[in-house]
Amino acid sequence: MASNAAMPFWRAAGMTYITYSNICANLVRNCLKEPHKSEALSREKVHFSVSKWTDGKPEKPS
Amino acid sequence: MVIIPATTGQMGVLPGHVSTIAELKPGVLSVHEGNDVIKYFVSSGFAFIHANSFTDIIAVEAVPLDKIDANQVQKGLAEFTQKFNSATTDLEKAEAQIGVEVHSALSFALSG
Repeated sequence: MASNAAMPFWRAAGMTYITYSNICANLVRNCLKEPHKSEALSREKVHFSVSKWTDGKPEKPS
Repeated sequence: MVIIPATTGQMGVLPGHVSTIAELKPGVLSVHEGNDVIKYFVSSGFAFIHANSFTDIIAVEAVPLDKIDANQVQKGLAEFTQKFNSATTDLEKAEAQIGVEVHSALSFALSG
């Protein structure tokens, strides 16, 4: 791309746009009144489990 | 008319606006229809202004102003200003600066 000038401060610090945008969104959610706050926080909750695979078989998920 | 909080400043969009993609900063988006104004706070995102006078606003969070808690905003602003002053690494400074930017914009939105 062009020169390094006029870069947003978060990119200069090594952050990507999506990290920046998600941080902004979380900060806004934290400043909401109830019940909107708990609705927003539960809406964005992510459930996941990670399991490693070896020799074609999954181990117990961590 | 819609006023969008672009990173380059407040931008007014009327029908017939030239096609534009604008990056948004945390701020107030106000929709003016006749004498009615509806305001939303947008956390960040983009605005796509199409040639057919449709505009799409893409944001992770967009809330009507009356859902914002003023006390939380003041607390957050004080907390992140403090974090910014005590930050050491570039990343910490950037995160604190984002906090200050978002809470200042929230505070400004509530007072305007």
